[in-house]
Amino acid sequence: MAEVVLDKVNKQYDNGFHAVKDLSIDIADGEFIVLVGPSGCGKSTALRMIAGLEDISTGTLTIGDRVVNTLSSRERDIAMVFQSYALYPHMSVADNIAYGLKIRRMDKAAIQERVKRAADMLELGPLLDRKPKQLSGGQRQRVAMGRAIVREPQVFLMDEPLSNLDAKLRVQMRAEIAQVQRDLNVTTIYVTHDQTEAMTMGDRVALMKAGVLQQLGAPQHLYDHPDNIFVAGFIGSPPMNMAVGRVGRSGSGVTVGFGGATVQVPESVASERPALASYDGRDVAVGVRSEDMEDASLSRDPGRPRLTTTVSLTEALGSEIVVHFPVEAARVVTEDTRALEEDAGTEDVPATHAGNTWVASFSPRSRVRPGDTVEIAIDPERLHFFDTETGLAIRD
Amino acid sequence: MTTTTSDVPVATRGAEGDPPEVARLGSAKGGWFRRTGLSHLVGILALAFSIFPILFVVSASFNPTGTLSSSTLIPREFSLANYQDLFSGSFPRWFVNSLIIASISAAVSMLISACAAFAFSRFRFMGRRPGLIGLLLVQMFPQFLAIVALYLMFANITELWPSIGFNTAAGLIILYLGGALGVNTWLMKGFFDTIPKDLDESAKIDGATHFQVFFGIILPLVAPILAITGLLGFIGAINEFLIASVFLRQDDSKTAAVGLYGLIADPLTKNAQFGEFAAGAVVLAIPTVALFMYLQRYIVGGLTAGAVKG
Repeated sequence: MAEVVLDKVNKQYDNGFHAVKDLSIDIADGEFIVLVGPSGCGKSTALRMIAGLEDISTGTLTIGDRVVNTLSSRERDIAMVFQSYALYPHMSVADNIAYGLKIRRMDKAAIQERVKRAADMLELGPLLDRKPKQLSGGQRQRVAMGRAIVREPQVFLMDEPLSNLDAKLRVQMRAEIAQVQRDLNVTTIYVTHDQTEAMTMGDRVALMKAGVLQQLGAPQHLYDHPDNIFVAGFIGSPPMNMAVGRVGRSGSGVTVGFGGATVQVPESVASERPALASYDGRDVAVGVRSEDMEDASLSRDPGRPRLTTTVSLTEALGSEIVVHFPVEAARVVTEDTRALEEDAGTEDVPATHAGNTWVASFSPRSRVRPGDTVEIAIDPERLHFFDTETGLAIRD
Repeated sequence: MTTTTSDVPVATRGAEGDPPEVARLGSAKGGWFRRTGLSHLVGILALAFSIFPILFVVSASFNPTGTLSSSTLIPREFSLANYQDLFSGSFPRWFVNSLIIASISAAVSMLISACAAFAFSRFRFMGRRPGLIGLLLVQMFPQFLAIVALYLMFANITELWPSIGFNTAAGLIILYLGGALGVNTWLMKGFFDTIPKDLDESAKIDGATHFQVFFGIILPLVAPILAITGLLGFIGAINEFLIASVFLRQDDSKTAAVGLYGLIADPLTKNAQFGEFAAGAVVLAIPTVALFMYLQRYIVGGLTAGAVKG
């Protein structure tokens, strides 16, 4: 068990590609940290540098009290779970789990004892004599986990360990991995491109884009207080709705107009963001989470600002109704939104076609149907504001 | 059971009492000949073509009067006289020489090619590409092109270190190793590339050294290509004649291929010794066939199944 400190860690390849830029993270002992981001953002490279599978170009990496930049993987006392599981196909499950211990010339009885304990923990007992090819995907995943925990390393590294599982199993294994980590209390660095995993598993989440750390913090903090448009759009499903709005003044207060509505920004929100007033007369990017909108006919607070629109699509999920509707406001286009579209694979959809469609989560009591004209109440306390140029959150 | 006979019911449907509907496979487009006969015919022709020389030699080896001119496909007489003659001469010595040279050069070339292939497949180092291309270019030239140079080189070596010079198994083995390295390394590198790199990395993180990764993880998974290169190396070495005939002049150092050729090289006696030659050829085929039968079990696919999510 150890803390892991990345200090201005860089990875630049020989061909000039700068995969990780000045990454600094202090990971506490026993903490579960999730590195998340779209593919190619450098999160796996960062993990592989911690694992010793890639050289660190500049910066220092400390595990425990040792700087490990030049140590080989075997000397770093870490264990890694690969996306592909990377089980040794010619060995039985027991031998797979025991391999790392055998290599370290551990006593045979002690190996058996540890393998048994790990197998019990992961319910692998009856499978110990099988070969990897006789196992299902979920079982292989467990063996890969077993191989990591049996070594009792200082740090667990996990590289998208669940992405090869089907959806149901993924949810189950997600909980199991989190449970195992809590039981063992081993510092864990977990890489994923799935924001749900990031939200549900990590003590803290580090969101990366193009090699640069965007924001580091507790999952709920990233969700509630995204530092920039990229974080806002990446964390949360569905992603945060965005539109260009115009800041104005009314008396001493600040207003923001978008989608045919003028919203009075509540005093509490404005005072948290003193910089917002200075945008008077200029455009900002307004963000609203889907759950902060409700069918106005069901809203308990009649004073809430409303948008009037026509429902284009509804998706009843049982616990909520997801409502898609167009908003008469320009789409926010920044480098961040382009990166988000690239991640979602929608960068080629022409803007005119997509329009600016928002998504709201209504209570299941709502009876809206596609084509209905509906009034949507927005919770003004939960508005987010970003600079349209820099994409940064407007705060102070 | 055959599925080509078109009236075999493969699936029946319908409730009891209903006449069963019969689904048919291989709807009778074209006759039996076009569907089955043609491929059998080609197979039989190919078989006849390859089996004829073998039958001829086997038959000649059992024919006591077997001269080159009187040999027939069906022997008129049967006797082991040729084999008795063969084993009372120098042949046992030659045969042992052949086995030693072929086994050692096959085994060692397999090992060093595997080492080279591992390096070329797994490491990125300066000179990797030139090295690979160099190997490819070098092995494009037949080894006997270099025979004059090799001869002169070994003439010197024989003076300085007679134990690896002319008329020694060691000298010839060294030559064969160099000759096979290029092809084998390329063959193996291609196979090594199909072993997921995650396995190496996983083993490295488990604490394995390169040496342990190579012997503990990679080698067991490349058994098929090891078997193939080993087999090819063995066949190549045991059948090799040209270089061996230049390098092995003393009668007791000869390989079977060189020695047997000697039996029929003399224009005066070649006709008479043809039966013995044929017997030698048959005996020489036995280790190759045996090795092939043994290695066959390793030439299977799917060894890496289950390693990574497919």
